[in-house]
Amino acid sequence: MGKYTRKFTELNRHDRPLVGGKCASLGEMVQAGLPVPDGFAVTVDAYEDYRDASNLRQELLRIVLGADAQNHASLQQAHNESVALILGSELPAAIEQEIRTAYLALSRETATRRGTDDADRIPVAVRSSATDEDGDAASFAGQQETYLWVVGADDVIDKVRECWASLYTPQAIAYRSELSVADASEASKISVAVQLMATADVAGVTFTVSPRTGDRSVIAINASWGLGQSVVSGEVTPDEYWLNKLGPTLTTTRIASKAHEYVPAPGGTGVLFRDVEVERRDIACLTEAEVLQLAEIALRVEKHYGCPQDIEWALEHHADGTAKVMLLQSRPETNWKKRKEEKSKNTTKGTANLLGFVAAATKGDN
Amino acid sequence: MTTTDNAVEENAVEEGAAAKPSSSDVTTPTERSFPDPYEIETPEGAEGWEDMYAYHNRFLPSRQAEDSAKTWFRNSLHYPEVSYPFDQVTIDGAFTGTGVTNTRVFALPPAKGLDVRVINGYTYMSTIASPDADEQARRAEEFGKRAGYYFQNWDALYAEWEGRVTTAIRAVRDIEVPPLSEFESLERVTEDRGPTQANQLLVAYHRLLEHGDQIWTLHSEFLNLGYAAYLQFLTLCKEHFPEIDDQTISRMVSGVDVLLFRPDDELRALARRAEELGVGELVIAATTEAELLSNLADSEAGQTWLSALDVSKDPWFSFSYGSGMYHSHRSWIDDLRLPIQAIGDYIHRLRGGDDLTRPIDKLQKERDELVTHYRSLLDEEDLPAFNETLALSRTVFPYVENHNFYIEHWFLTNFWNKAREFSSLMQKWGFWNDVEDIFFLRRAEVEEAIVDLQMAWSAGGNPQGGHHWPAIITRRKQIYEALSNWNPPPALGPVPGEVNEPLTIMLWGITPETVERWLTAQDGGGSRTQLTGFAGSPGIAEGRARVVLRPDQLDTVQDGEILVSPVTSPSWTPVFGRIRASVSDIGGIMCHAAIVSREYGLPAVVGTGFGTTTIKTGQLIRVDGNAGTVTILDEPTGV
Repeated sequence: MGKYTRKFTELNRHDRPLVGGKCASLGEMVQAGLPVPDGFAVTVDAYEDYRDASNLRQELLRIVLGADAQNHASLQQAHNESVALILGSELPAAIEQEIRTAYLALSRETATRRGTDDADRIPVAVRSSATDEDGDAASFAGQQETYLWVVGADDVIDKVRECWASLYTPQAIAYRSELSVADASEASKISVAVQLMATADVAGVTFTVSPRTGDRSVIAINASWGLGQSVVSGEVTPDEYWLNKLGPTLTTTRIASKAHEYVPAPGGTGVLFRDVEVERRDIACLTEAEVLQLAEIALRVEKHYGCPQDIEWALEHHADGTAKVMLLQSRPETNWKKRKEEKSKNTTKGTANLLGFVAAATKGDN
Repeated sequence: MTTTDNAVEENAVEEGAAAKPSSSDVTTPTERSFPDPYEIETPEGAEGWEDMYAYHNRFLPSRQAEDSAKTWFRNSLHYPEVSYPFDQVTIDGAFTGTGVTNTRVFALPPAKGLDVRVINGYTYMSTIASPDADEQARRAEEFGKRAGYYFQNWDALYAEWEGRVTTAIRAVRDIEVPPLSEFESLERVTEDRGPTQANQLLVAYHRLLEHGDQIWTLHSEFLNLGYAAYLQFLTLCKEHFPEIDDQTISRMVSGVDVLLFRPDDELRALARRAEELGVGELVIAATTEAELLSNLADSEAGQTWLSALDVSKDPWFSFSYGSGMYHSHRSWIDDLRLPIQAIGDYIHRLRGGDDLTRPIDKLQKERDELVTHYRSLLDEEDLPAFNETLALSRTVFPYVENHNFYIEHWFLTNFWNKAREFSSLMQKWGFWNDVEDIFFLRRAEVEEAIVDLQMAWSAGGNPQGGHHWPAIITRRKQIYEALSNWNPPPALGPVPGEVNEPLTIMLWGITPETVERWLTAQDGGGSRTQLTGFAGSPGIAEGRARVVLRPDQLDTVQDGEILVSPVTSPSWTPVFGRIRASVSDIGGIMCHAAIVSREYGLPAVVGTGFGTTTIKTGQLIRVDGNAGTVTILDEPTGV
């Protein structure tokens, strides 16, 4: 592909500066043979060239640096102005054409594979892909936008622009207005991931380290009906499946009452938040075989990255009863390191005291 | 202190006044406590029980202020039943052994021994206050030298210990109870002119007690050092893997070839041998030792098999049906019904194509894989400490795992049977009608009876015993029954401020959580249909419960039932082939029920506290060995 788009199959983790963390990670997973829905990145250069071509750069910088971070009205006004600029300015034909071509190629390829006739209208997810290292700043900088069930090249291009515009939430403007010009400019780099929608009927998150204690021998899976946002956003209390990595073996299952789910809207675009029928609410949304399959994939992801991961996934059930797992995203789970530093906290003073004497005796320090 | 207490009480009163207390609010946290030992009532029909126990093991009225202020935990692990008067030797001996080893031999710095009391026949214990900082420092210096010597010479000392224990067991077995013959031997007159049988009788009894006491020092010799070394590894594992369970840690350490499995292995070997010799059918047909002998004695093959049985018996059938701590538990060697039935079961399994070998290689491989797995999850920098503490744990573990067979099974089987030899002699002299009656006398009372007999025999008269003991024994048997129906609380006295002595936690399973569970159950709270314990062995099973309170009820267990017991004994292993899961009231980290359950692939929940008092035989229950819960699925009947 060209300067403005890159297929996931062409990316790996070193491409973060060009395509952001999310796309680089997806590319890395594809390269590792993990089941990731196909897609492409709209590169950082696309937005950079757009800003230069339309003379937006100076204008946006002026708006951001001119905003009063303490003043809500001022931030809101800066937000409105920036969004209008980004969504209203003309997108250079080269950029637009490349995104369009990339989408149509993906769409047609997929339709052929699936044997469907919606060759130019295969639904995709469009998400921001931040370039900074740890992702903490990304949430401040407004680089966490997601649009699901986007259909057709025009809509894809619109949503890419909305991801760009999402750099300018009032909160993000407040954050960048306090940075230096150079840092603010760096913090407003953005790439966008365009990825096939997983038509999931169950989705969730897998941690390859215990989120409650930082125990690295544990896998925890949270899962709920429908698309994954309900779990990620915390709108639904998900089922919990706890496993020991050895095996892996399922150790504990906690079935929650899952009252709501996100499903694709009937029109083929967008999603719908709806009640789950009573008879499905209180039953497990994963079979034990599916839990084990998810765990095994999670172990492969962890092994590939060499550190504990936090993995978003979706499960698509086929008519024949089999299920296909798709990984949507994987991030390093960093909390366990902090936990490790405070690990001895759970050892009581009494034990520590006795063990001090024992250690001295075994080593012959007397 | 006082100010804080007042403040808490005032708050409680204010809250109570503001909102009408519901039944659950009536007991505020400050009022919670276990029953005061001085307010425990004597069960009806057990009046006078105090005479059955030595004064040093009782709550004495003039010591009330001191003893009521302490928390007493029931020792149901070793003393699940009412103790018999003579059987107090295992209380006195065991607490002396562990006390002297901790306090005087190794000078364990942070912990001394335990005080012991018996109330209504049940044994309670309370930790002696920890030494202060100065004393700990003084003890630490000694501990370093003493424990260090053991840790550094462990294998040699353990081999030597095995020799000393075996010698002690033989010594008890070989104690000669004088026959009290009509005349002293002629040699006594012409040759040695030593003590007469009158004197030797008392000397022999003292020798029995001497060994009965000393064996506990051998029992404790390596035990706390072993547990302390294991605690190092356990603590390290829990720091790195906070959610790891105790059983997984002990699996990394434990040996696959443990003495406690040996008796069961002997039964399997005897089953194979019977088939090889073509006498399987004759063995299956027998249920008692007499039948076995009459079935097999006639043929050469039968004789060969019987001599193989005799070889297995010594020592492997010196295997108690219970914890071994009670004379009444008896051992395989005293009653061959269980081994004979188990050999029959194994012959059937052989014919069904099962080769009956314990999968030693597979277990060894699983253990290695487990260690490799956990090593792979550790950072490089954490590996040396993991490897070192694991290696030390493995060094100490053979003792931790095997001492139980030597002491509680092999030694005590011989000890109780030697006491029965004395009893037989006294029965002959009219002291009582039943050999088992001697166990209703305290050790000091037996000594008095022996002096009575020695005087009477010496003079050529009749002892007084037959006019004194039978009435007392009859009454004590009634008291024993009455006490057996009493339900002893898990603890007495105030709620402990802090449970943090690591060996208490590890050996007795007493944690702040267990204390809380006891209090909730005592106050009538907690679920009546769900019990929580430790996940002993993974898996989930449903079935009908079979509550087995004593070893002599074991033969009631039917195929496919779930065994519910206060505590299981290693000698019950053959029964595990019949059951679907097991639940026990008590269970520490080296709990037998859990080890055997894993070996048999049966779910187990141990340490439920109230399994035998909550679950009734015949109820449908679900045992979740992953979560450590037991659920009663039937409505309790007759409630």
